[in-house]
Formats: sequence, structure tokens, C-alpha cells
Amino acid sequence: MEEMPLLTADHLGKTYVTGDARVTALAGVSFSVEAGDFVALMGPSGCGKSTLLHLCGAMDRPTGGTLTLNDRDLSTMEDDELTRVRREQVGFVFQFFNLLPTLTVADNIALPCLLGGMQPDEAERRAKALAGRVGIAHRLSHYPQQISGGEMQRAAIARALIHQPALLVADEPTGNLDSENGANVLSLIKQLNRELGVTILLATHAHDVAAAASRVLRMKDGRFA
Amino acid sequence: MKRAFAHARGRGRLFRQFVLRPLINEKVRTVTTVLGVSLGIAVVIAIQLTNASSVRGFETALETVAGKTAVEIIGSGTGVDERLLPQLGWLREHGIVSPLIEGAAALVGGDEQSVSRRRLEAVKILGIDILRDQPFRDYNLLEIDRPGSDGSSRRSTEEVNTQAFLQLLTSPQAVVITEKLSTRRNYPPGSELRLMIGDRVLRFVVRGVLKNEGPARVLDGNFILMDIAAAQLAFDRLGRVDRLDVLLPDGADLQASVDAIGARLPDGLFAQRTGRRGEQVETMLAAFHTNLTALSWIALIVGLFLVYNTVTISVVARRQEIGTLRALGLSRHKVLALFLGEAAALAVAGIAIGLGLARVLADTAVSLTSSTVSTLYIAAVAAPPDMTMGHVWTAMAIGLPLSLIAAAIPALEASRVPPTAAMRGHDTLDMRVRFKPAPLVVAAVFLIVAYGLAQLPPVGRRPVFGYVSSFAIVIGAAFLVPAIMYGLAKLGRLVLRRRLGVEGLLAHANLTAAIPRLSISVAALSVSLAMMVAIAVMIGSFRETVVYWVGQTLQADLFIGPGIRPTVGSEQTVSEDVIQTLGRHPQVAALDRFRNLDMVYNGNLAVLGGGSYDVVLEQGSLLFKSPANAREEMRAAIGQDAVIVSEPFSNRYAKRDGDTIDIPTPQGTRPFRIAAVYFDYASDRGVVVMDRGTFRKYFGELAPNGVAAYLKPGADPERVRSEMLEMLDEGHRAFIYSNRTLRTEILAVFDSTFAITYALEIIAIAVAMLGVAGTLLTLVLERRRELSLLRLTGADRRQVRRMVIIEAALIGAVSQGIGLVVGFALSMVLIYVINVQSFGWTIQFHVPLAFLVQASIAVVIATSIAGIYPARRAAQLVLSHEE
Repeated sequence: MEEMPLLTADHLGKTYVTGDARVTALAGVSFSVEAGDFVALMGPSGCGKSTLLHLCGAMDRPTGGTLTLNDRDLSTMEDDELTRVRREQVGFVFQFFNLLPTLTVADNIALPCLLGGMQPDEAERRAKALAGRVGIAHRLSHYPQQISGGEMQRAAIARALIHQPALLVADEPTGNLDSENGANVLSLIKQLNRELGVTILLATHAHDVAAAASRVLRMKDGRFA
Repeated sequence: MKRAFAHARGRGRLFRQFVLRPLINEKVRTVTTVLGVSLGIAVVIAIQLTNASSVRGFETALETVAGKTAVEIIGSGTGVDERLLPQLGWLREHGIVSPLIEGAAALVGGDEQSVSRRRLEAVKILGIDILRDQPFRDYNLLEIDRPGSDGSSRRSTEEVNTQAFLQLLTSPQAVVITEKLSTRRNYPPGSELRLMIGDRVLRFVVRGVLKNEGPARVLDGNFILMDIAAAQLAFDRLGRVDRLDVLLPDGADLQASVDAIGARLPDGLFAQRTGRRGEQVETMLAAFHTNLTALSWIALIVGLFLVYNTVTISVVARRQEIGTLRALGLSRHKVLALFLGEAAALAVAGIAIGLGLARVLADTAVSLTSSTVSTLYIAAVAAPPDMTMGHVWTAMAIGLPLSLIAAAIPALEASRVPPTAAMRGHDTLDMRVRFKPAPLVVAAVFLIVAYGLAQLPPVGRRPVFGYVSSFAIVIGAAFLVPAIMYGLAKLGRLVLRRRLGVEGLLAHANLTAAIPRLSISVAALSVSLAMMVAIAVMIGSFRETVVYWVGQTLQADLFIGPGIRPTVGSEQTVSEDVIQTLGRHPQVAALDRFRNLDMVYNGNLAVLGGGSYDVVLEQGSLLFKSPANAREEMRAAIGQDAVIVSEPFSNRYAKRDGDTIDIPTPQGTRPFRIAAVYFDYASDRGVVVMDRGTFRKYFGELAPNGVAAYLKPGADPERVRSEMLEMLDEGHRAFIYSNRTLRTEILAVFDSTFAITYALEIIAIAVAMLGVAGTLLTLVLERRRELSLLRLTGADRRQVRRMVIIEAALIGAVSQGIGLVVGFALSMVLIYVINVQSFGWTIQFHVPLAFLVQASIAVVIATSIAGIYPARRAAQLVLSHEE
């Protein structure tokens, strides 16, 4: 039996209304992502790739079309349900790392599990394991301000994966790193996709980053080009 | 000129758009801050008005009754012996002289036995020689009673000359009352009026009604005029008058006249300016007033803290806007001015509302304090005076500069925001937790200074150094707060994590990172709570001491007193008839008569009393402070020129057992040796007690103010009391308290004394709670990016709300913890320094554990509730991983 795609978007649209102004960020895109895929969304600034990423990551609701993740329709969910989806099925990696500055690296990594109600000891154990996996085991007791950009992004990746999500969403993950660190992080993401089978949806404007993906979707003016 | 005007217009527009508009939009924050400031201002002004009312009532009564009197000649507590009057003819060289009797009575209209003595309607009575008194005071009759030839009453409004006025008052039962009293209580001319004077109910006939002028205005019309002879009879002061009033000719030098008169007066008589009595009362009330004023300032300081909070929120929320303005060319000074302007706007609004609230609060404060003032000090408390421009200027002078000082730190922070803050991601707040040792040194210095100041003596009977010491403790503790919070953060990490889950972990992490920001909030709340703890410990200790003292000293089974409680300027006695009647009850074993007089000692009002030393020693009803063999010393003092003094007297005048004090008597000032010092919490005025024999030797046989009755073993005090009341005839009214009832009454007075303290504390804590809400809101706005990330990572709204409420509860718990420690330190200063120097009492330290536990729980709950609004705001933040 043919497996259903992990993520399916059908004429997905998003329009922002601010006062009298209406901005259409997404103008009805349709695509699907299979489990284990590594898909890159590529396009210039303002093309709608971040908006599409936000919708796929259950951060926001579309204003048109449908979006399903693991057979669940995200487009009709209320805030609490979307939150649960993010907690259980989605991992995020951001351009600016976005680790919580008040928590140690260990606590940052463990956070999604703790929010999900996992026992602290078990969450800690997983965090340690993942930290070792991404190469920052020696930084667990440090705070984000005390480690390098590359290390912060690795920690963010570990955080994004600790709860074994179905989908990893990455928005310009190398955008704030120098070329060496950027290459290392990209290599890590590829490795995780290969070894753990994590489905990855990555947004970038850089060709070399997009080239790491198995499939590239080009966007322009809210549509696939 | 045009350019300057254009600049000013531009700045005004910027102020309106950048400061005023957000204040109007952020209604909750603005209203909270304005409310906090207004409460603080209202409390300070209300207490000023209240303090003025308690003295004003007495002084107004004094001035109204004094009329044109310039000099008063008084005796040594017992008035002026009439036998001295022929020797005082030379007073006519100085001016006109008028003798008078001045006293208080209670209106009798129903069953007064069931009414607490404190709630009887009091009237002031003046007994005058109408022929001699007319130049002194304005008596304008509205209506008189002209009895017809058949004895019937006929009311007349015709003009009355002096002779006719004199004829109105020829009968000992004739009185003239005021128009207000006549109308209010329905006493028209010709009607009968009954008054309770001491323990006697006397009947009078209203012969005239005075217009509402001159002395008729005193006590809001509760004034009665009678002939001096009738007054002497009514008040049982045959053979003496209360004082001689002297009216000087125009242009006479007042002080020179006082000195000249005083130099020629015989022993036992003194001359003083009219109004000196008011000054003495003001001095007597000074400590009470100063304490209230100090308390009121706490509410203001906490209210000003809200200004700090609001401006901080403003700065934090608009860092990017400020950065943009700076990038566009606005100077640092102008940014500073904008935010100071915000503070000024909040302060002006708060002051305006506060002045309106002040009058309402003053009325409440007067009603809370009037019971204390009228019970312990003086009989008359006026309504608060009207607010004047002076009060408005005071409010502006206090509120505006302090608000600007409060806003200085965040305004300076705003002025330092760089233009790059306009660019996203380029301006991040330093979240590193760094411990700095310097504040510990500052704290140590303040605490050492506080200790040193607490050792210093009072200044003019005011514990000035005590208050400064308390202030130093508070400042020192505030500097310790960051270190305490760092320490608690380290200790609390594991506990919070394990006990309160991920929300506890996050709350702990957030608060730890925010310690630099939080310290001021926690310090402000801790100060309020510390004052609450300090006052609770002081009151608890005081109450326990009074309970113990009452238990030890109130040994008599019954206490018999006159109809009105005696206070300054109001002599009330129990008649010999009543004493003899009640003494005949078969269950009475012994009676102890005691008599108190107002005494001026070192320019202050003290109490001189006479009591039976042997009865007191027999019954063991005094707690001695010193010497060790005080009982023997007191026994040896029977019949001697020796006295025992109360602890407040001893502390106030630095007199110990063995010292000698000079006491004014009708026979002149005489030295008396202090045999012993005893504890006394009934009054802070300072009491000197002579044995009855010695008292009689110098002051004559005077009717007692009260009688203590000791019953035979096995007697039922309540039953004896009821039987005694039945033994009294229609013409006598006495208040008889059983030991248990009197103890309850004493504690009721005690509790009502501190009612205003509790009220002020509640206001201060309420304002501090508003501060907690404001602080949390600041933190929420500061962390909106982190909160958004938290939601992105999978935290639902409930978890975010719970986290913020845990933060609020932790702030409350930490503040209460610090408040407890600082409060205990402050309570030491209150009990061992301020109270002793203000009132002269020794209080035994006692911790009201149950209250402190309940209060601590209440604080944590209250701060958690204060966190609800910020929690809701945090949970409603829009999801974004970008700034």
C-alpha cells in the first residue's frame, strides 16, 4: 500500500491584513513532502518561504487551502491543538538560534520534552545523548551567551530533535554563521536526515545550502516558480 | 523667537505622541500607577489633616471658650482657692479679672448604663460671674424663658441686658444652652434638662438659648452656661474656682504681663498665656502624630515606586522606538526629558486625585483615631480642617520631585539606548547573572550606622534618631536584596525544578536572570512587608505586655467610676454618697479611692495621683520596675514626702528611684523623693502617685476619680455589680466595671488605637502589590521574544500563565522572607528605641507567630493574584521568532 505523504499542502494561502492594507504572502501553493525527505525552499527575501515554513511548522493558520501533517488537518486547528502539534511533531531551527538565554544548554535541549511532561531525569538523559551526537556534550552546563554561534546552532538542532518530531523545520539555519560553521551545521543536518530519517523542510536563499537537499522548491511572489 | 516657539511646539507634539498617547492607550498600567501615587499622596495629606484635627478640636474649644482672655491664672491641679481671691486685688492693675468653672458633663436621656462610657454625648459647661465675664466672651441670647405669674413658662425673644441675664441664672438649677443643642435635642426654654456630672444626675431648667456665636460654637453647640456658684455646687468645687481669666488692656505686652503677674502670685498659683494649654496638648500628642506621619510616608514611597515601574515598562517596551528617534537625531537629553515628563504627567494626575481622596481618607482616619485621642488624651476631636492651598502645595512639593527621582533611573536608561536599537537583533539586553560585592559593603555601612543611631537619645521627646536608624536599616537591607536573591536562586534551583515541573524551572531561570531588574521591586515590596512585620511584632509584643500587666495590676474585683471618663481639662469624680452606699454592700472587703490631677511638670502635662499605698501593697496590684526592694520602699513612703512614678515619667524626665522631683502644690512647689518606679500602660503622660495621707496634706480632701472595690472571697463580682447598681438612687449614676469587663474595655481601647496602623499598612501593601504586577508586566514585555520562542517550542498558554504566576508567587515569597528578617530588625528599633523614647513604655518582646504565618500565606496568595494579568498578557503574545 502506498504511504501517505507526511506533509501535504493544497492551494495553501496566507494573506495578512493590517488596517486597510492586505498583503498576500502565499498565493495558493500545493506540494507534498514524504517522510524522510530533505526539501529546500529557495527564493529571494519576501518570496513567502518563511510564511510557508511557519504554516508547515504549525506556528500559524492559513487563510486559504488546506495543510495536513501526519493525516491531521492543521488549517482548522485551534491554538491549543497547534501547540500540541508543535510540541509533539515539529522541531524548529532558526537563523538566530533562539536559545532561551536564561536556561543552560542542557535545559534548552531538554525543554520540548519537559514541556511535554516527560520526567526530568529522562529528559536530561536524552539531552545528554543528543548533545553528544551533535558534538556539544562539553557545553551542557554553559549558557548560550558563553558558547559560539556554531555551538548554539548545534544545541538548537539537538533541541529540535529531542522529542523525535516527525518534521524538522529550519529557517535559514546557516544564515548567521561563518562559512566554516555553516558548512558544519549543514553537514550535521544532512547526517541526521540520513541516519535518523528525520524529514526536513529548510528555507534558504543560498544555492549551496539548497544543494544539500534532495529536492528544491523555488518560490517567487508567494508561488512556486 | 519664532524658532524657539517652533521648537517648543515640536517638543510638545513629540511629548503628546510619544508619551501621552501610549499612557492613554495602556489604561491598566496608567491607572494602576496613578492610583498608587494618589493613594500615597492621599494618605500623607489625610494624616496631616487628621493630626491637625485632634489638636484643632481641643485648641478651637480653648480659643472659643477663652474669648478675649489673654492670661490665665491656674492652681496646682486643684484650681484656685477662693480664700486667696481677696489677696489678688492687685490684678486689677493689669486688667479685668473673671473667675470661672469649666467642666464636662453628659446629657442624660435614656438608659446610660447600657451605653459604653465612650459613647455618651458630652457637653462643656462654663460657670461664670455674668457681671464680670461679659467683657471676655460674647453671649447673645436668642430666646429666654420668662415664667409667668402663675408659674407657667413663656418664651420671649426680646433683648436682654446684663441685669436681666443675671436674673436668668439666679437659681442653681438654671442653665443657658445653645441654639444648636436646643434644636437638636429638643430643649426649648422652660424645659427640663438632665446632666450627669461625675456620678450624679442633676436636673436643670433651660432658661435661655444662646445664638451660635462666641463660646456657643464650642463642641458643635454642646455648650452650657450657668452661674459660677451653681457650677461650684454641681461640680462639687465649693470654695474654689478652676481659674481666673485676665483681660489685658489694648496694647499691653502679653509676655511682660504674664511675667509680672506670675512674679506676684502666691505659692501654688501660676500665670500662663491662653493657648499654653493647647501647646501642652500638642506636645502630648506629638509622639502619636509623629508615628502616624511616619507610617503615612511608607504608603507614599511605595506609591512612587510604581512610577519607577511604569517608566521602566515604558522604556523596555519601546527600546526600538527610542532607538529610531535617536537614529533620527533626537538627543539623549531630550529622551531623558521625555521620560521624566512621563513621570511628571503621572505624578500630576496622581496628586490631583490624591488630594480629592485625602479628604475622604481623613474623615476615615479621624474616626479611627478619635476613639484613641478622646479616650487617652483629650475629650474633643474636631472634624478634619478644610484642605487649603497649603496642602495642595505640600502635595506638589512632595509628589512631583519624588516622582522625578523615582523615574530618574529608567529615564537615564532610556537616554542611553543607542540608535542601533532601531535595528532588529542589534540591541539585546545582557541576561548574564553577575554577582557584585560592592552593594554588600554599602549594606554593611548602613546597618552599622543604623545600630549606632539607635543608641542615641531622643530630640525633644521625638525619637528622631530612631526613625533615621529604621530608614538606614531599610536602605541597608535594600542593598542586600540582590545578594540574598542570588543566594536563594542557587539554593532554590533544584527544589523548584523537582516540585513545580518545567514551569518552576523556567520561572526560576527567568527570575534569576532578572535579579538586577527585580531587586528594586523586591526591595520595595520587602520594605512594605517589613513594616507590616515590625508593626505586627510591636503591637503583638505590646498587647502581650498589656495583657500581662492588666492581669497583674487589675486585682480589684470591681471598678467604680463617674459617668464620663476623665481626660485633660475634664475633672470627673465619684461622690462620697455613692462610695458610702456601695461600701455598705455586705460582700465588699475593702475600697481603694484614687484621685488624679492634671499636673504641669517641666512644661508638659503629667498626672499626679493619690492612692492608698497600704491597700495597693496588700493586694499586690503594682508591677515594679525598680528598685529591687520596691515594695519595702513604697511601704516606707507611707505618710512621707515621697512618691512612686510610672515608667513613662521615669524615662521621659530621666528620673530614677532615689531622685528628687519638684511638684507644684497649692502650698507651693515641694520636693518629693522617688521611692519606686512602676510599669503603667494606661497612659503615656507620666504619672506620679502619692500616698493618700501625703496627698491630703498638700491638696486637701478631694473626691476620688474612681474607686477600686475588693470583694470577700467567694463573692460573685457580676452579681455584686448588679446589686450595687440597684442600690443607687435616681440621682446617681456610676459606671461599675467588673474586673473582666474592664480588662476587655482596656484591650478594646488598645485595639482601636492601632486600627489606623492596620489601615495604613493595608494601603501600603496594596500599593506594593500593584508594583509587583507592574514589575512582572515589565519582565513579560522584556521577554516577549523569549516567551514567543517558548510557545513555539511547544509551551501552551496554560503553561506560560502558570510560569508567570509561579514567578509572582516566588517574588512574594522572597519579599516576605526578606520582610520577615528586616521586620524583626525594625521591630527591635520600634520596641526598644522609638516606643521607649516616644511614650516611655518598656515592652516585652513577643512574636505573634500565628499572625505572621497567616500574613505570609496571604502575601504569597496576593502576589500570585497580582501575577494574573501579566500572566494573561504573556500567554496572549503573538508567536514570532523574530523581534
